[in-house]
Amino acid sequence: MAAYAFLIPLLPLLAALSIGGLHFFNLLRGEAGEKLSARLAAWAIGLAAALALGLLGLELAGNPSGLQVYGSWLASGKLIIGFSLQAGGLNMALAALFGALLLAVARFSRNYLHREPGFQRFFFILSLFAAAMLLLVLSGNAVFTFVGWEIAGVCSYLLIAYAYERPVAAHNATRVFITNRVGDGGFLLGIGLMLAWLESADWQTLNTGAADLDRGDATLLALSFAVAAFAKSAQIPFSPWLARAMEGPTPSSAIFYGGAMVHAGVFLTLQLRPLFERAPAAMALLAAIGAMTAIYGYWVGLSQTDIKSSQIFAASVQLGLMFLECGLGWWTLAAWHLAAHAVVRCYLFLTTPSILHNTHGRPIEPVPAALADCRWAFIASLQRGWLEPAVDWLLVKPILQLAKDARYIEERILDPLMGSPAPAIRAMSSLAQQEEQKMGANLSSTEDRFAQGSGLAGKLAQWTSALLNWFEYHFILRGIGRESIRVGRRLGQAANRFEHLLLRARYLALFVLITLMVALGYR
Amino acid sequence: MNDAVPLLTLCLLWPLLGALAIGCVRDGGRAKRLALAVAGVELLLTMAVVFGFDPSDGGYQWQEQHLWIPSLNAYYAVGVDGISLLFLPMTALLTLMALLAGWNSATRLNRFQLALVLILESTTIGVFVALDMALFFLFWELTLPPIFFLAGLWGGGAERRQAALKYTLYMLFGGVPLLFAIATLALNHAHYTGGDVPGGLGFNLPDLLNTPMDAVTQELVFFLLMLGFAVKAPLVPFHTWLPTMAMEGPAFLTALLVGLKLGLYGILRFALPLAPQAALEHRWLVAIVGAITLVYTALIALQQTNLRRLLAYSSISHVGLVLMSLAAFNYQGQQGALLHLLNFTLIAGSLMLMAGMLQQRLGSCELVHLGGLAKPAPRLACLFFLFALANMGVPGTNGFPAELLVLIGTLQAYPALALVALFGAVLGAAYLLGFVRKAFFGPTGAVSATCPDLTARELVLLLLPALLVLLVGFSPQTILAWPESALRVRQQAVAEAEAVRAASRSAPSRAAAAYQEGSI
Repeated sequence: MAAYAFLIPLLPLLAALSIGGLHFFNLLRGEAGEKLSARLAAWAIGLAAALALGLLGLELAGNPSGLQVYGSWLASGKLIIGFSLQAGGLNMALAALFGALLLAVARFSRNYLHREPGFQRFFFILSLFAAAMLLLVLSGNAVFTFVGWEIAGVCSYLLIAYAYERPVAAHNATRVFITNRVGDGGFLLGIGLMLAWLESADWQTLNTGAADLDRGDATLLALSFAVAAFAKSAQIPFSPWLARAMEGPTPSSAIFYGGAMVHAGVFLTLQLRPLFERAPAAMALLAAIGAMTAIYGYWVGLSQTDIKSSQIFAASVQLGLMFLECGLGWWTLAAWHLAAHAVVRCYLFLTTPSILHNTHGRPIEPVPAALADCRWAFIASLQRGWLEPAVDWLLVKPILQLAKDARYIEERILDPLMGSPAPAIRAMSSLAQQEEQKMGANLSSTEDRFAQGSGLAGKLAQWTSALLNWFEYHFILRGIGRESIRVGRRLGQAANRFEHLLLRARYLALFVLITLMVALGYR
Repeated sequence: MNDAVPLLTLCLLWPLLGALAIGCVRDGGRAKRLALAVAGVELLLTMAVVFGFDPSDGGYQWQEQHLWIPSLNAYYAVGVDGISLLFLPMTALLTLMALLAGWNSATRLNRFQLALVLILESTTIGVFVALDMALFFLFWELTLPPIFFLAGLWGGGAERRQAALKYTLYMLFGGVPLLFAIATLALNHAHYTGGDVPGGLGFNLPDLLNTPMDAVTQELVFFLLMLGFAVKAPLVPFHTWLPTMAMEGPAFLTALLVGLKLGLYGILRFALPLAPQAALEHRWLVAIVGAITLVYTALIALQQTNLRRLLAYSSISHVGLVLMSLAAFNYQGQQGALLHLLNFTLIAGSLMLMAGMLQQRLGSCELVHLGGLAKPAPRLACLFFLFALANMGVPGTNGFPAELLVLIGTLQAYPALALVALFGAVLGAAYLLGFVRKAFFGPTGAVSATCPDLTARELVLLLLPALLVLLVGFSPQTILAWPESALRVRQQAVAEAEAVRAASRSAPSRAAAAYQEGSI
C-alpha cells in the first residue's frame, strides 16, 4: 500500500500535463472547457489527498510505513541520487493536510474564476503546484525536495503574474522570483555540501550523520538551509516579497501564501531538526530572525488598510513565531503551529472576498492609539520598516551599477580595443552592396583615409602610426610647450577619476568579497 | 565490431553530396525540400552512429584510419568516444532546426545558402570526429568560409559584412596559436620517439596522449591551445565577436554558433588532456577566467535591451560556468560540463531561433518594440518561457541536472568559486525574467499587437527540442549513460597526471632525469 505513495505527487502532475497540453493545442478553451479542467484538477488532487489520508490512517492505526525507494535518478561516479518518498510521520501528515487544503481551493476556484480569461491557465498552474508541494513534503532526499521547492516557486511566479497585462503584477512576480532565487542558492549550496561531505542527498543520512559532523561543518550546512528557509517563508530580510505576492487571484493567495508554500521553510527546518540541534549558532539565528520577523509583521500590520495586506502581515507574525519556536527547540509546538496556521490562514484568505462584501461601506477602524501617538513608529509602520529600500540600496543598486560599469567597459574599452574592423575589404560584395550599386547609390564608397586599417592587426598598425604621428607633431615639432602640460593635467584628472571610482562602496565591497573568496580558497 | 562500415565518413560526406546535389537543382522550393531531406537523413545517420556505439567501452569506436599526407605522417583518422558521440546527433538536429527556421528567410541565392548550411554541418561534424590533429585543424578552419558567407550575405543587420569580417579575423587569430601548438605536439612526438623530422612526426590524438612531454613544452602547448580555443569559446576578453554576430548575422546561423560550443569542446578534448600536468598546474587560472567570464557577461546581460545581444551574453556566461566546471577536474565537474554543453545545443539554439522568429515578425528584437507579446502570441510566449526556465536551470528541465553536477564538481574543487556560480544563477534568473517581463508581459504595444503566433512549421521545430528538454530533465540518465565509460577513462588519466605531478614535486630532479633518459 505504502509503495503507491508515488501516486500522490504524480496524479496532480498528470492532471497538470493534460490540462496544459490540451490547452496548448487549443482543445480546451473558453467556457466550454472550464468544466473539464476544473474536474481534472479536482479529481487528481482529491485522489492524491485521499491516498495521503489513507496512508496517514494506516500509520495512526499502528502500521507505520517508512521510506519508499523507487530507484536512481542520476548517477555520477560514487554519488547516486535516488528517488524516494517518506511515506510516514510529519511528511505524510502534512501531505494529507496540504492535499485537503488544495482540494478545497480547487473547488472554490471553479466558481470564483468562472469566465475569467485565464481559467485553464489557473488550473494548470494549480495542479502543477499541487504536484510540486506534495513532492516537496514527501521527498526522501534533498534534491527532490528542491525540485518541488523550485517548481512551486515558478508556479507562484506565474500566478502573481496571472493578470500579466498589468505592469505591477509582472514586476512583482519577477521581483518575488528573484528574491526567492537567493534562497534557492542557499538550498543548492546545502545540497552540494551534503553531497561533498556525506556523499548522499538523503535526508535520513543527513539526520543520522549529523551527530558525527564537525560542529563548524554542521553550522555551515544548517545556515545554508536556513537561508533557503528564510527566503521561502519570508523572514527578515526577505519579508517584503510576501506583500508583493498579493497580486495573484485570491484563491491562489490562499493556498500559496496562506496554506501551503509559505510554510515550506518552516517544514524544511522541522525536517532538519537533528542538524540544527547539532548547530546551536544556527538555532540562535532561527530564534532571532523569527522574533524579529514576528515583531516586524505585527508592527507593520497595525497600519494596513486593505484586507489582503493585513492578512499577509498577520501570516508573517505567525511564521516568525514558528521559527522562534524552532530556534528555542520547541519542535513539536512548531509543527502543530504550522498545521493549525495553514488551515486557519487558508480559510481566512478564502473568506476575504465575502468579508469585503459584508463590511462594504463601514468605516475603517483607526490604528491603535499607542501607535498613532508615536509619530515615528507610525511612519515606520506605514513605510513597512523601509526594509525593501534598504535591500535595494545595499544589494540591488550596487549590482545594477556594476552592470552599468561592465557594459561601459565592454562597449567603450574592450570592443574598440579588440577591434571592430572598418569596412575596407572590397573583395566581397554582398547582395545589398550589389543592389546599391545597381541603383547607383554606392553608399559605402567613402574616400579611404590615410592608413586605414582593418581588423585587429590593421587597427594596431593604424593606431601605432597615428600615435607616432601625434607624438612627432606635438612633442618633436613644437617642443615641450604648453600642450604637454595640458596633456599631463588631463592624465592626472583621469587618474583621479579612476581612483575616485575605485573608492566607491561597490568596488570596496567587491574587493572585500574577492579577498574573502581567496581566503576561502586557500583554507 | 562496428568498425566495418565507414559510417563516420558517410556522416561527413553525405551533407557535402547533398550540397552538390542542391547546386544542380534549379527550382528554389525543391532545393529547400531536398536540403531538409538531406539534413533529416544525416540525423538518422548520426543516430545510427549512436545506436551502434557500445557505451561500456571507454575507447574510440567507429574508427577509420588512412594515410593522408605521407610526407607529414598525417592521417585521415576519425572515430568517436563517449565524449564526442552525442555532439553528432545534436549538430544534425540543430542544423535541421536551423533549416526549418530559415525556411522563408532568403529570397535570393537560396540554393547557395542551403548548400553552405550543409557544408557547415559537415565540417562541424568533422571537428567532432577528427582523431588526427592535422585533420582536426583542417576541419576547424574549414568551418570559417561557410560562416563568413552566411553572415556576410544573409545577415540581418546593416553591418553584416563587418561582423563577418570581424568573426573571420578573430578566428584566424585564434587559429595561429592552435597551429603552433599542433606543430609543437608533433615535433615533441618526433623528438620523443627518436624519429627524424618529418618522418617521425605524429598527429594522432591517442598517440599524442601517450607521448610524454617535459614541463616547459607542456606549458607552451597548454597556453597556446587555451588561447586558440578561448577565442572560439569565447572567453573574456576575446568574446566581443559573438554579440556582434548575434546582432548582424542571420538568426539560424547565430543559433548554430551559440548552440555548438566548438571552443569548449576543444578545451575538453584537447587542451586539458594533451598537456595534463600544465593543465593541473594552472587549473586555478582556468577556473578564475571561467568565473570572471561568468559574472562579467551576466552583468552585461542585465543591461541589454535587445534579445539577440542578451542571448549572446547569456551564452558566454554559460561558457564561463562550463569552464569552471571543467577546471574542477573531478568526475562530477566533467559530467556536468558535458551535459551542459549538450543541453546548450537545445536551449540556446532554440532561444536564438525564437529571437529570429520575433525579428522576422516585428522587424526588431529591441524592447521598445516588444511588450505584452503573451496576448497576441501565447504559444510563442509559453515556449520561450520554457526554454528560459531551462536556461536558468530550473528543475524539471535539462538545465537542472547539469547545473547541479557543475555545482557539486566546483564545490569540491573550489568552494569559493561555487559561490560565484550561485551568484551567477541569481543573475541568470534576473536578466532572463527581466526580459520576459518587459517583452511578454505588460500592456500590448501597437507593434507587438500585430505579432502572429507560431506557424505549424515553427511549432513542430520548437516542440521537438522542448520535449527533449523535459525528457532529459525528467531522466538525465538517458544522456549521461553514454559518456560514462569515456569519462572514467579520462578521470583515470587525470589521476595519473596528478600522481606524476605529486612525484615530480617531491623529486623534481628525478622527473627531469626520467625525461632525459627517454629523450636520449
